[in-house]
Amino acid sequence: MARLDGKKLLACCANGAGSSLLMENAIKKVMTRNNIKPAAINHCAVSEGKSAASGYDVVLCAKPFAKTFEGIDASKTTLITLKNVMSDKEIETALKDAGLID
Amino acid sequence: MSTVLQDIVNKKHYKFIDGEGLTWQECVKISTESLIADGSVSEDFYKQIIACIEKYGPYMVFEHNVAMPHTTENAEGVFKTGIGFMRCKKLIDFGKDEDGEQKEANLFFTLCAANSDEHMNNIQQLASIFANEPLLDALAASDTPEDILKAEKDFPGEDD
Repeated sequence: MARLDGKKLLACCANGAGSSLLMENAIKKVMTRNNIKPAAINHCAVSEGKSAASGYDVVLCAKPFAKTFEGIDASKTTLITLKNVMSDKEIETALKDAGLID
Repeated sequence: MSTVLQDIVNKKHYKFIDGEGLTWQECVKISTESLIADGSVSEDFYKQIIACIEKYGPYMVFEHNVAMPHTTENAEGVFKTGIGFMRCKKLIDFGKDEDGEQKEANLFFTLCAANSDEHMNNIQQLASIFANEPLLDALAASDTPEDILKAEKDFPGEDD
């Protein structure tokens, strides 16, 4: 069983309407390609993301927003920061580096 | 159903400019003009986009010189869902990102969202367009709405 099966992923951007949707789209591609079935892939604005983060196993955001998530419980939630939010390749590599997919 | 590029042409949500000597702020403003023209957004909607980029940096400028200026869903001054397309002849400087990399754009896809489903559909189609480099090259070379439609026909890209 893949490690992200049944897990919850959250994509965040400044407004929760543009880049986070592109990210969500790219994450879905990565999940399909690796045959992973997460429990949820959601998106929101960083302003909501900070409080919502603890309810997710993985939070993904563009690098400028990394600071927002300082202080999240790293033992529960993995933070992945991306340079290019719409790159499914970058997301896949980042998840592999974090040991979340094989 | 029409594609986003057909929609851009049908709704006259396009602009072809040279861009020489213009700042990114001026370009963001100009990219909303076609959306203002049919009442999709208010005349000062662009100010919110500029404020967002000034706050967070040019993270909405992607690879291949594509910019996707946007704010939030149901932002103040947004009345319809749509995409304002703009092609600049010159590359517009958006400054450096957090890694010190210079960000430049000549293709603008400026978003406004009043309806979630339509907006989601727009974003999904844009994701395929942004990954389709031959299509982006053809759009960067376009001068007319007919060129946009021809580019789409010539470079359909992969279906995924």
